[in-house]
Amino acid sequence: MREPLIQMQNIIKVFPPNVVALDNVSVDFHQGEIHAIVGENGAGKSTLMKILYGIQPPDHGQIQFDGKTVVFQDSRQAIAAGIGMVHQEILLVNEYSVWENVVLGLEPTTWYGKIDRNKAREKVRESIAAYNFNLDVDSIVSEISVAARQKVEILKLLYRDVSVLILDEPTSVLTPQEIPQLFEKLRQLRDAGQTILFISHHLDEVTGLSDRVTVLRRGRKIATLRTAETTKTELAKMMVGREVIFTSLREPQSTGDIIFELKNLGYQDSDGKDRLSDINLTVRRGEIVGIAGVEGNGQLELVNAIMGLSTPSKGDILAMGTPIQDAQIIDRRKSIAFVSQDRSRLGGSLQATITENAIMTHHRLNQQLTKWQGHLLDQNAADQFTSELEANFDIDIGSIDNPFQSLSGGNQQKLILGRELTLETPFILMDQPTRGLDVHRQILAMRGNGHGILMISADLDELFRIADRILVLHRGRLVGDLPVEETNIEEIGYLMLEGHPKDEIG
Amino acid sequence: MKLDKKIISGVLGIVFALLLGAVVMLIQGYNPWATYGALFRYALGDIYTLATTLHNAVPLVLTGLSASVAFASGPVNLGQPGQLVIGAMFATIGGLYLDLPKGIMIPILLLLAMLGGALWSGIAAALRRLFNMSEFITTLMLNFVADYLTYWAISYPFFDSTAYSPMSPRINPGGALWRFGDFNSDVLIMIIIFLLVYFIFQRTTAGYEWRITGKNSLFARLGGCPVGKNYVAVMLFTGALAGLAGGLVIMGGPLRFLKGIGANYAWDGVMIAMVANNSVIGTLLYGIFFSVMQTGALGMELITQVPREFIMVIQAVIVLVVVAGRGTLDIVLDKIATRRRVQEHQT
Repeated sequence: MREPLIQMQNIIKVFPPNVVALDNVSVDFHQGEIHAIVGENGAGKSTLMKILYGIQPPDHGQIQFDGKTVVFQDSRQAIAAGIGMVHQEILLVNEYSVWENVVLGLEPTTWYGKIDRNKAREKVRESIAAYNFNLDVDSIVSEISVAARQKVEILKLLYRDVSVLILDEPTSVLTPQEIPQLFEKLRQLRDAGQTILFISHHLDEVTGLSDRVTVLRRGRKIATLRTAETTKTELAKMMVGREVIFTSLREPQSTGDIIFELKNLGYQDSDGKDRLSDINLTVRRGEIVGIAGVEGNGQLELVNAIMGLSTPSKGDILAMGTPIQDAQIIDRRKSIAFVSQDRSRLGGSLQATITENAIMTHHRLNQQLTKWQGHLLDQNAADQFTSELEANFDIDIGSIDNPFQSLSGGNQQKLILGRELTLETPFILMDQPTRGLDVHRQILAMRGNGHGILMISADLDELFRIADRILVLHRGRLVGDLPVEETNIEEIGYLMLEGHPKDEIG
Repeated sequence: MKLDKKIISGVLGIVFALLLGAVVMLIQGYNPWATYGALFRYALGDIYTLATTLHNAVPLVLTGLSASVAFASGPVNLGQPGQLVIGAMFATIGGLYLDLPKGIMIPILLLLAMLGGALWSGIAAALRRLFNMSEFITTLMLNFVADYLTYWAISYPFFDSTAYSPMSPRINPGGALWRFGDFNSDVLIMIIIFLLVYFIFQRTTAGYEWRITGKNSLFARLGGCPVGKNYVAVMLFTGALAGLAGGLVIMGGPLRFLKGIGANYAWDGVMIAMVANNSVIGTLLYGIFFSVMQTGALGMELITQVPREFIMVIQAVIVLVVVAGRGTLDIVLDKIATRRRVQEHQT
């Protein structure tokens, strides 16, 4: 076999004071391959790629690129050397056109320093044609689809002549229909000699797309395999560290009483615009109800109304049969657990200690954490509570007195999940919970114990893996309510985009 | 580990500021050794100076605690100057009308002072809750109102007709704080209040909610903390602390309300809170240290050529060095921790 294009050797990355995000990771990437990096949340995938891209310096180890040892101080140097990365969030200037975004920072200029617009536009048009990207150079970015914006991001890097493309969970912002197109593009790029490194935790995508795959778990490299020689089950086992059963994740189960209900819920924003209209849904014990939808179709408003951050303009919210739309948040929390993907804004306080984050809400509902009729916090009980969470939810905590931000993202998420599930409320609201097999296992366990779960997610694979019913939110309305057995990804995807079933004329 | 780090950064900051001050003195032709010698001798040299230093620390520490607790809990209460003079005014008026034995009168006047401060911060809290006006602005504006209101009060209704400048008459003797030799009992009250604030802020459930709200109020709200109620509680509590400082200034000092009685105590308190990074213990320690500097400055001026104002320079340098140094030290300590971890994991 020829010499690898990139060799990362014995990379160690520490998040001070105690978290070892990468522990002696060595991995090789070959020229012209699609190489997937998989692992649970907090396994170190993004960190490894950020080190390669020069955003974060490694604390130990070295990187060989094209036979030479390289040290990138920042991403500019990495791009100059030929390594580019597309982040999960798309970072473009919305008001600019496609070509303006592509050349931004590397504009061709005339001899006296003026941007040579014609030349720039022409060069971008040529690259679009060369890579067959199907984009209009003059479209304004805010007016094109997310998938097209992602192409612009990729084009931006290709324009800078990178030979290695790193993509951090590129499919997370795409609809199911858009994903195959992206994959087709990536295959074309590979065939044109590009090296593609691809972060994912969707094993379907990994097995469908990549040539080789590297599995990380808790900062260690478990293996690098040829994708053709492995299976999803084997990869999942490596990721999680134990057997994961795919097919029967969701065991059939009879559901119980209705524990959560929305009746004709409506919400108007401050401009009087309807953001939610006629939302009706029920969640029963032992049931996982998924809400699919493209982001920005009322998910945020729905969560705010349920949690009590906003007042609905119409309708009722019932928990355990009692209307709660006018209740204080703490009273809602007696029946609702809330897991949000937004760890630093909604789920925790980065500067507060791990214990302080762990006992939130419990400090008012769990009498064992307080003394003097709730007025005095029992520090020992709080510490013990945190240690129990650490053990029960397998969280990698250095010291519970460290700030929450000392934890890696995945471990922060586990702490939030643990805190909320430990509330033992009948109803659990999950807003875009971080995808991951471990999380799914826990959600299903809660379902098995007779909890009812409402899960808002843009990730259809996730919904299909664990939900019992899928509702589709489109422009503030629920446009579908389908048992998973009776539907498929394509049907739900169509509802998400169009707001009505396929056979209906809209 | 955490407290150690704060102590290291504090001590380093102070040492560095004093060295920098020494350099400035050398450039100006003064002897830094003799100057600092005089400074510390006149602040800590004997029982009397020590007692004076501690007495002078009282308004600094109490207004500092007020600012620390407010900032760390979210509300930007910058009304300590106004709350202090209103508290002083309340204690004075109470002291003029009441004539009771010390054991009863002193607690009553202290409560009145706290009530005055809480009332003044309560106005700002009400404006926030009812009209969503930022307390950052209203507390600052109310400082002016308080200043002129008290000036009016000692010029007209409570003017001491025997005096040549605006001041109130002396309060009744029952309102004068106890003294133990050179020590004024306001120091004791300060220590009790410090312990109380520490306990409330660090140990109670309410204090926990205040701290989390100060760091991420949306998270606290979603977690079920009544952030609106807590906001009002913090405003009233910190207003009461500043008001108490005012009461003690009257009752442990001139026993009457003089023009300019608030001096610069409250702004120094805000500065101390910032240097202490809103830590309750840090505020106590820095408050005492700043009092050492300010008290010693008088003696320094007396026996050396260095003007008292020079201490302001050193104070300012301490603020800059400690605040800037905090981040730097974090980076250095993180580097050390990282290196240790890497060595453990290296193969």
